[in-house]
Parts: sequence; C-alpha cells; structure tokens
Amino acid sequence: MTSRIPQIADDIRAIFAARGAGMVDVAILQPADPFLDMAGEDLRRRIFLTENETGAALCLRPEFTIPVCIDHIASKAGTPRRYAYLGEVFRQRREGGNEFFQAGIEDLGETDIARADARSIADAHALLAGVLPDHELTITIGDQRVFEAVLAALGLPRGWQKRLARAFGSKEMLDAALEDLANPSRKLTLDEPVASLIAEGDRDALAAHVAGLMTDTGLAESAGRTSAEIANRLIEKAELRSVRLSDEALGALKTFLAIHAPLRQAGNALRDFAGDAGISLGAALDIFSARSRCISELGLPEAAIHYDAGFGRPLDYYTGLVYEISAGSRDRPLVGGGRYDRLLTLLGAKSPIPGVGFSVWLDRIEALKGEG
Amino acid sequence: MTITLALPSKGRLKDAALEKLAAANLKVATPDDDRRYRARIDGRDDIEVAFLSASEISRELAQGSIDLGVTGEDLVCEGISDWQERATIGARLGFGRADVVVAVPDAWLDVETMADLEDVAAEFRQRHGRRLRIATKYWRLTQQFFSRTHGIQVYRIVESLGATEGAPAAGSADIIVDITTTGSTLKANHLKVLADGVILKSEACLFSSIKDRTAADQIAVDEVVAAVAAL
Repeated sequence: MTSRIPQIADDIRAIFAARGAGMVDVAILQPADPFLDMAGEDLRRRIFLTENETGAALCLRPEFTIPVCIDHIASKAGTPRRYAYLGEVFRQRREGGNEFFQAGIEDLGETDIARADARSIADAHALLAGVLPDHELTITIGDQRVFEAVLAALGLPRGWQKRLARAFGSKEMLDAALEDLANPSRKLTLDEPVASLIAEGDRDALAAHVAGLMTDTGLAESAGRTSAEIANRLIEKAELRSVRLSDEALGALKTFLAIHAPLRQAGNALRDFAGDAGISLGAALDIFSARSRCISELGLPEAAIHYDAGFGRPLDYYTGLVYEISAGSRDRPLVGGGRYDRLLTLLGAKSPIPGVGFSVWLDRIEALKGEG
Repeated sequence: MTITLALPSKGRLKDAALEKLAAANLKVATPDDDRRYRARIDGRDDIEVAFLSASEISRELAQGSIDLGVTGEDLVCEGISDWQERATIGARLGFGRADVVVAVPDAWLDVETMADLEDVAAEFRQRHGRRLRIATKYWRLTQQFFSRTHGIQVYRIVESLGATEGAPAAGSADIIVDITTTGSTLKANHLKVLADGVILKSEACLFSSIKDRTAADQIAVDEVVAAVAAL
C-alpha cells in the first residue's frame, strides 16, 4: 500500500522549517458558517456539509486560510506570526478527486506590508523551486489597492468606486459595471411624495416617510435595513443618475486595466499612466514600489515576474497584492496567494490584523513531476 | 417492454395532466379507487402510468427510474443538479404556471433591480454585522441566479419550509425568493418583485428522462412526446 501523503510532503515541511514558519494542525471538521460567510453561498455546492446533533452546520475543511486565522484569533497569540500547514482539503469537483493536498504559509500581523508581501512570494517560490527544480516558473501579480487608488484618483463617485472595486478580477462583472456606468439606464419610478423629497434632497423627511412605510408594513428598523439607510441610498442613487462616466475616465480605466509589464518596468508603467491621466496614485504606488524593491532584495528572479493590472479576486476581504505562480499555462496555477487585511476583522478579531499568505496545489505539482 | 409515465397524484395538476393526455389521444383509464397509484392507457399496453407527488416525479426523472413525467419546471430545475443532462422537456403544457421571483420589502424604495440588490448586499455586513439573508426553499435556483447570473456572492440563504413570504416581517430574513402565480400573496405581505427579478417562468411540462432504453421503448417515449407536443 502506498501512502496517500504526497512524497514531496517531507521536502515541503523542511522548506517551511528553513524559512521559519512553524507547522500548525487544523481540524478537518470545521464550522461551515465562516466559509459561507466569507466566500458566499456559491461555495455551498462545492463543500461537503454535515451537521452535528444540535443542527449546527459543519463541513470538511475546504481550505486552510480561514481556519488558520480563526485558530489564531482564538489562541490570542501575539503577532507577527507565521503559520505553515500541509494537509488534505475537501471540495466537490467535477474533475479530479474530491480530496487533495494543499500546503502554504499564512503570515499574520506583520505591519511592514511591502516586506511581508515580498516574503510571501519568496516563500511560495522557494517551495516550488525546491520541489520542481527543472521547471521554469512564472509569477503574475496584481494589486487591488492600486486599482482602488485609480478609481479614487479619477474622481468617480463613491458608489461607483465601490461597485467597480467589487468587480475587480472578474472581467465579466467589470465589463458589465463599466457598460452600466457609461450608459446609465436608471429610470426612477417613484411616486409622490418620495420623488419630491429626493429632488429637494430632504434626507430627514425622506427617512421619516420610509419609517412610516416600515411601520405600516410591519418591518422593524432593528431587524435589518433602517429607514435612514434607505433614504440615504435613494438620494445617492438620484445623484449618480445625473452623472455619467466620462469618456476620459472610461478611457483611462481601460488603459490602466490593459497594463501588463515585467515587474521591473511596472512601477514606471504606472507612473507613466498616472502622468498621462493627470492623476496621483499616492500611497498605493509607494507600497507597490517598495514591494518591488523588497522582491529584488530577496533575490527573486525578476524577469519571471509580471504585473497584470487587471488581475484580482472578486472577494471582499482581499485588499492588496494577489499573485499566482505557474509552470507553463496560467489556467492551472500551482500557487495562489494574496493579502487579506480585512479577513481577520471579519472573522472576529478585536483589532485589525494584516495578513498575507499562499496555498500550493500538491496534486498539480505531483502531476508535473510525473510528466517530467 | 413497457415504459413508465408518471403523473401528479392529486389536485389541479393531476386533472389538467389527464385532460392533456386525453386530448392527445392517450386516455388514462383511472382506477375506480382513487387511492390506487397505478393505471394504464387505453390501447397502449406498453405504457404504465404511475401517480406520484410532483417532487417525487422530479427525483425519479433524475434517477432514470421513470421514462416520462409531468411535473413543474421549477421542481426539476431546483431538485436536480445539471438537470439538462438527465432530462429533457418534451412539451410545455400551458398549465401550472408560476414564477420563481426575487422579492424585497415594499419599504425598500431604493431597490428596484438586481444591481441595486448587489449594492445593498455588498454593504450589508459592514452596516449590520451580518450578511444579507434570503429566505427560500429554492437553494439551487437562488444560487445560480445570484452568484452566476448577477455575480452576487455575499448573502446567506435561510432555509424556509413554508410561509416564506412572512420571513422579512418576522425578521428571520431580509428578502425572499419564492414562487408566485398572481402576486397577491406577495402584495399582502408588502413585498415587491424586482424589475429583473424573475428567476424562472415555470409551468408544468412533460419531461423525458435521458437514459439507455430499448429501441421499442424509445419509440414509445417519442410517440407520447410527439402526441402531446402536437397539441
């Protein structure tokens, strides 16, 4: 009988130890709610759900980042701290098995964002270079923070900035949002007195009107959305209706999203773009440049690193760097990583804890080794 | 060899299905005793009729244990994963019409479209410390519509086993996904359907299961489908 644990597991553990990340043990059976809360209901059909005798939903761990963060919060451990893991994850997949091995490092609480980002990429790259010495690796990075800085610098209304930022990383969603903003079709079909109250911008009277409706229809303010929230959004919507995404701003956004450059030139490409568009990218560009310097200092093969301005993940806890490492095609990356500074707060941490981490697909590595 | 045709075992769906078949020259000899759940079709010894509940019919179609079945499109779309790989619609029957819709409280004056709802859902956690909750018994249809069609990921489904339309007022959910025929129940509960919030315009259909069968059986299946579709 052969062991199910991949042969490369020992090598990977040795690499983790050499890089100063201690192994943690994560329970296989996990409460399902944090995963569904963070990643959304769509995950439900991809995980293995069960429940305990009190009816609480449990699942087989579908990934490591969330449980590692939850365990960190519960342990009240100090930061910064680096957690390494290696083990099986369980997901319903159409192709391939439903259980497969992942390994990775979560780096929590390091406040030097640029340095921690660079180190995460270096950790992942060292792992792959160690177990796949004969393969050429390519690293693609994206940056949510830079995209959000572009949106803010272009002077887009806040509501639009948020909508576009949420769509970042999904070409379909982003195209749909841009199309919508360039050609608004927002007809308001509101009756009086609401239409007049909006026209006058009278928030208090509008909120009072909505509150009356809620009382009449038996909707409690405390149960969910409040009358003030609804009134504010009505007025915000009316304001957005009168603006249209200018051709200039749309053009600048498209130019930005098309930026694809080797990392060594990426900083200049962003500076040139900002100069042409007459905007400043501020701290986002500073962090980007600082990260590039750290990457260079850590001796990563810079020629193999590319920045793709449109690369992101449409999950609301990613805040900055995202990256993938592949040997060959990007369709099946060997590593996925990124910065998730919002995640720990969402999971219940009392104060913000920055985090960056990556996960490697051991089955894909084994498949590549098999080919070689 | 015989094929099995499953029909709804009670109510208006049963009566309307029997009428349709009779009009297609496939008269079901209903058992004298209403509680018997098997019947034949006059002049067609190769067809066995089984009376099942509408949701059982959907399940049996998925498993291929029946050849043909009359049931609601919503039940098939909801009950079977990748239903197009297991069953096909032979004929739309024009009765049992109902829409599966997204409905929000009337007082949400600012929410008229799914794009509005996306906005509200995205900010919900930040404002209220929890995700937007949707009460429904249509898990699959809701997920497909919200996640795949509209790219809305951040919401939670609250299982509802009845009186879904009361969930927002009861405080157990913020909005609902439910079935409606005339809209009067929604209206009475002060809920409005979003302009682009119709997930499925459902009606009763004659489905055939996709499975290997003998040539003779396949001909019988095709004949029933053709006769009903020709109406």
